Amino acid sequence: MTASVKQRPVLEVLNYSMSYQTEDGPVEALRNVSLKVMSGETHAIVGESGSGKSTLAWAVTRCLPANARDLNGAILLNSEDVLAKSRSELRDLRGRRISMVFQDPSSSLNPSMKLGDQVMEVLRRHRGMSREAARIEAEAALSRTGIQNPAAMMERYPHEASGGEKQRVIIATAFACNPELIIFDEPTTALDILTAKQILELFVKLRKETGVAALYISHDLGLVRRIADTVTVLYKGEVVEEGDVKTVFETPKHTYTQNLLAALPRPQDRIAAPAPETTAPLCAVENVSVRYNEPSWLTRIVNPAAKAHYGAKQISFDVRPGELVGIVGESGSGKSTIARAAIGLNPFEGRITFNGRHFDNWKAFDKAYRRQVQIVFQHPDASLNPRETIGRILARPLRLYNLAPAHAVPERVRELLETVLLPPEFVNRYPHQLSGGQKQRVAIARAFAAEPKLVICDEITAALDVSVQSAVAQLLVELQARSGAACLFITHDLNLIRQLAHRIVVMHRGTLVDTFDVADAVAPERADYTRALLNAVAVPTRPAHTS
Amino acid sequence: MRKLLSSPSGLIGSLLLAIVLTAALFGPWLAPYEPQQFHAQSRLQGPSLQFLLGTDQYGRDLLSRILNGAPATVLFGIGATVLGVGVGSIIGVIAGVAGGRTDSIIMRILDGMLAMPELLFTLLIVTFLGGGTTQALLAVAVTFTPGMARVARSSVLSVRTREYVLAAIARGESQNWIVFREVLPNALGPVIVEATIRVSFAIMIGATLGFLGLGAQPPSTEWGLMVAEARQFMFRNPWCVAMPGLAIAITAMGFNLFGDALRDVFDPKRNH
Repeated sequence: MTASVKQRPVLEVLNYSMSYQTEDGPVEALRNVSLKVMSGETHAIVGESGSGKSTLAWAVTRCLPANARDLNGAILLNSEDVLAKSRSELRDLRGRRISMVFQDPSSSLNPSMKLGDQVMEVLRRHRGMSREAARIEAEAALSRTGIQNPAAMMERYPHEASGGEKQRVIIATAFACNPELIIFDEPTTALDILTAKQILELFVKLRKETGVAALYISHDLGLVRRIADTVTVLYKGEVVEEGDVKTVFETPKHTYTQNLLAALPRPQDRIAAPAPETTAPLCAVENVSVRYNEPSWLTRIVNPAAKAHYGAKQISFDVRPGELVGIVGESGSGKSTIARAAIGLNPFEGRITFNGRHFDNWKAFDKAYRRQVQIVFQHPDASLNPRETIGRILARPLRLYNLAPAHAVPERVRELLETVLLPPEFVNRYPHQLSGGQKQRVAIARAFAAEPKLVICDEITAALDVSVQSAVAQLLVELQARSGAACLFITHDLNLIRQLAHRIVVMHRGTLVDTFDVADAVAPERADYTRALLNAVAVPTRPAHTS
Repeated sequence: MRKLLSSPSGLIGSLLLAIVLTAALFGPWLAPYEPQQFHAQSRLQGPSLQFLLGTDQYGRDLLSRILNGAPATVLFGIGATVLGVGVGSIIGVIAGVAGGRTDSIIMRILDGMLAMPELLFTLLIVTFLGGGTTQALLAVAVTFTPGMARVARSSVLSVRTREYVLAAIARGESQNWIVFREVLPNALGPVIVEATIRVSFAIMIGATLGFLGLGAQPPSTEWGLMVAEARQFMFRNPWCVAMPGLAIAITAMGFNLFGDALRDVFDPKRNH
């Protein structure tokens, strides 16, 4: 690419501010945002949830909700002001000159239209092609995205394709009209680790071939570093830092960027509790299988081929006292299924041994077991009863298991809040008055309130922002070290689990493929699947601190 | 509450409801005449200063009759709804919480009841029980039960899989705690909203039954009955049909708009 081409800005956002009108008055979503995307470059916007990064994408394409108001500034696409365009001009603009790839491929395709028709529609609408020409072009576009049999894929409906295939179709559509700018809004976040890696490689390849300018929105700093040329860091609707990716990531100037980078989990920075001294297991899971959708006798009469589906098959592993065992795997690998079986939410076959006692089915779990094994769920918004105060939520395990006499309960609740670093006045708050990270702390406090021997954490950091994530992980490890509880930590974040865990269990499609000490994560005897997973994620390096 | 009044439909609904409830509570005292008092000199008159809404075929003051009929009509609507919603929700919650075979059996029976058109079903029950206000009220309540059970069940089912309920199950909480502390408080919103909207249906069905002569009996001042009695004189004095009809419409609309606004307030998507 020649230097002269690189000079020309494709998208310029100049001093742009916008707000949403809400019942509580206007809320400024973007404040004096300026950025430039040069032709042929990938410009990344990074920021945590609520930073306004998606709002900016919507502002550029002018797909804003009715309560959005532009305040000041301009958005120029190849020197044309987008803000001044009429509705019909915008319709021509979208898809033809700016196209967009969204986060969730399953919700951005029309489920009642064949994939091929959806690609062809764009070509016919924006490039004025005939049906036949569009079909040929669509097939070519699909094959460029690495789809093996494009003609067959075009005849399929979205539900007949996998997530990765759907995202490929969407990317093919986005590139099909040779747009001037493509906006990618977290295109790999909803995909599994391995699929995400392929989609990312595809993105890099296609962008290089076509030289189109790309605006890449992501919260994943490690990913941005690999693919972007320049980056803008957004925080609460304002640009805090911008520049060349290498410069920004290696010598971040703003404290926010520094903190964000420092919060990235790095396997080499271990924050685990001390390793257990014994190898005698606290909890042993032996040949546990979980079956779903057992066909009823009526279904079997109608359809003799009906079979139960295995959520997890013949899983065996153990957890030692005070140890943190990580379970990793892609979605659908059965990692949450095992957690639910162990906590008594799913029936299972096989045997769970806990503290010397054997349990052969989920009905056998008694109150003592349920007290000693606690769970923290993924979604902090859903795991606390919205109609109870934090105080009552935390007091419940104490009362249920008679862990404190009635008069001592309020004092103990305050202690619990203190241990998870929350102020004591939270006892009278309701969950919706807390942020996601705070809610997750309450959920962790509730689990530890029962003085458990084993805490199961089901993707507890997945719904949180990077900086909150690391704080929650640290808190968990601290509590674990203090109470001596073991922990089963389920996650898909390999870097994080290598920071936390003593041992790691890898699951794939309901079976256990690998168990290893964290120190042996990169050893050559690892299973192929483990190695593929580890290769798919970049390990972030430590930034040189300038503060 | 502030949120409820900030939407146009909520404001209008609340206003209409306030008027209707005032009439229902104080109607008999506000009425200028005795509802059964004949004014032989001024039969079938239009609105005048003496008779604000006009008179019917016996010269009875329409305003007084409507105000006197308000308690019966509104109480009928609320009573039938409370009964139907109460029984329906209990059945629905039992089905939702129990799940499995119990759920299937209860829901199939209710599906059978739902298959019949509401009014037809009510008529069937009234024919079976005999005419009269109490019978009509029971009939409407029975008709409402399956629908309400469905609403309550689906609401319970959606709450039951939330993580805080799972957490309670995992903690080893008793069934009662899970149902009454974790599930029900969070499942009641849709039931209350549906109930508010249904009051208007109940009032309309009650009026319909009155009109058909199957509900309240003369000389009651129930609004549906008033419309029926005045029907023959509709062309000589339209007011005596229009006024009770309008009263029914206002009441139904009040409850309906109020319920709609209530649904918006309860909708979590609007709150965040």
